[in-house]
Amino acid sequence: MRRSGASGETDHQARLIAIMTAVLVCLFVLSHFIGSNPIPVLAAVMDATGDTQSVIAVILTEVRLPRALIALFAGATLGLCGAAMQGLLRNPLASPGLVGSSSGAALGAALALYSGFAASFWLALPAGGIIGSLLATLLVYTLAGGSAGTATLILAGVAVNSIALALISLLINLAPSPYAVREIVLWMLGSIANQSMKEFWFLLPGTLLGWALLAGTGRSLDALTLGEETAYTLGVNLSRLRWRIFIAVALAVGSAVSITGAIGFIGLVTPHLLRPLVAFQPGRLLPASALGGAILLLCADIGVRLFPAGTEIKVGVLTSLVGAPFFLFLILRSRRWQT
Amino acid sequence: MFRYPIDQSSPLLLPPASRSDRMVFQLDLLILSYECSAPVRFFYPLICYLAIVSAWAGEPPSRVVSINLCSDQLLLMLAKPEQIASVSRLALEPNSSFMATSAARYPVNDAKIEQLLGLDPDLVLASEFSPQPVVRILRHLGYRVEMLPVSSNLEDIRRNIRYTAALLGAGARGEALIEELDHRLQRVAATAVESQPSALFYQARGYTSGLETLQHEALILAGWRNLSAEKGIRGYGAIDLETLLLAKPQQLFSSAYAPGTDSLAQRQLHHPALNWITQGKPIINIPYKYWICGGPMIADAVEALAGAHPAHSQSASGEERE
Repeated sequence: MRRSGASGETDHQARLIAIMTAVLVCLFVLSHFIGSNPIPVLAAVMDATGDTQSVIAVILTEVRLPRALIALFAGATLGLCGAAMQGLLRNPLASPGLVGSSSGAALGAALALYSGFAASFWLALPAGGIIGSLLATLLVYTLAGGSAGTATLILAGVAVNSIALALISLLINLAPSPYAVREIVLWMLGSIANQSMKEFWFLLPGTLLGWALLAGTGRSLDALTLGEETAYTLGVNLSRLRWRIFIAVALAVGSAVSITGAIGFIGLVTPHLLRPLVAFQPGRLLPASALGGAILLLCADIGVRLFPAGTEIKVGVLTSLVGAPFFLFLILRSRRWQT
Repeated sequence: MFRYPIDQSSPLLLPPASRSDRMVFQLDLLILSYECSAPVRFFYPLICYLAIVSAWAGEPPSRVVSINLCSDQLLLMLAKPEQIASVSRLALEPNSSFMATSAARYPVNDAKIEQLLGLDPDLVLASEFSPQPVVRILRHLGYRVEMLPVSSNLEDIRRNIRYTAALLGAGARGEALIEELDHRLQRVAATAVESQPSALFYQARGYTSGLETLQHEALILAGWRNLSAEKGIRGYGAIDLETLLLAKPQQLFSSAYAPGTDSLAQRQLHHPALNWITQGKPIINIPYKYWICGGPMIADAVEALAGAHPAHSQSASGEERE
């Protein structure tokens, strides 16, 4: 695996992270220039930082900023968790969307929302997402068995995703709010339009906690590529690692999805795109994939705002349109390997 | 499988279907009798008298079934209680139906064909939004179905009241309702002031009401400017949050369909920027039942909107009147 010396590797990794961070910052800034109405962004920044509260300043800080922040955090979460799950399960198709973490989170959040519980207790929404995500992930993992092959894991994921989808539609049909009916699309495809800073604060604690838990797992994931026994001899406690990653994914994905809905394919695609750039090392993939996920989702969100449709399309529609063919490509490639 | 109970090719043999048809029927008799021989012509004045009397005294329908919330409410307002055979289920729902309390006295239907046949109606009231297959089958089976057009302004409301009243043989009651509505609107108009503050309706999922909506009509009557209409929005349409903020409305109104419930769509109304743009003035909720259907209850909405007008906002706004 190790192609170059340790120092060269670190240099390479540092350069990759620096470039990706620069791209991310550019996209984040660019994101504030794009909206349904052209506003003088620089003047808005002056107003927002000064004491004069103008409409353009409010549009910048209350409409565009939360949207960009949520795209950044949700995208990074999905990319990071996808990389962590693929590393843990040593399965190229593992990702929050496929092993049920996202749809479970959507179900939990929807339950908290439509029951009216989230209205009286703000933490209920992300908490619902976190609990739903954890339960769904554990269910898939148990169904597939500890050392599951790709096919078994995907099948278990498909089953749990379908159950979650069915329960969400049942829930929405039973919801007291008449507006709920059309929101199944939001939960299943995801959207970050019309969010405010309030939603960003809902999302923040869980995602940060999840990221922090994942931050230290890189070395164990690297060891795991050598096989479970070898990893064990290297001092990796596999069952603790598994719990740590499942809980971290549930915290991060649960909080993000409870705000954005289950945005598809970011968590699957990002690690695959970046793996060759990090010499196929799961530990190095984690930060790169987090940055990559944020870049992809920001791009997609800028894309939907530039899309020349009468009404804005949902960001999840775009990520799925781009991601699903990629998923097919992965399946075809893995079939070629098998034969 | 279904057959017309009566051959439609000979209209004179048919019992007249509607009141206007009945008038034509009487007129035909008149012309016919005039063209007849002398003895018949001798009785012409008598026949004429009888024809007119029977046209006016033509039996109003006695088993009216309504399958739409809008016709439900007009039926409940206009008909004699013994004329009403059934109203639709939505008529009982207090957020949608202005007449929920009186609707509770009648059997409800779900606009299902078998259920309706069991009610044996002599008039079925429906609306343009009623399920078309149901209307088609009922007509095919020879039942009389009258459709109420959707109202998007005051003139439509008056027209629908008159139309329904005529169908029910309650012309006087209809005119009285219209008179009361006009009287209440005039009273609001009398308090009008020079200034017309800007407002717009902002609903769950970011929808607003532009031109040709009852909300627009009511805003104007209550002395507000409707920014959505000025932005060129026609009917009900989505308004982008940034566009809304740049339009700088002085007051936001909403009309929640189901207050007290939660959904992503409804959460959009809690965006902090909305609060900022109206300088902390909360969104005023006008009950949805005032205009989900066109009817005299539009006066309640106009009065509530006028009550929220800064010129006479000492009275609490958005109150419900029952």
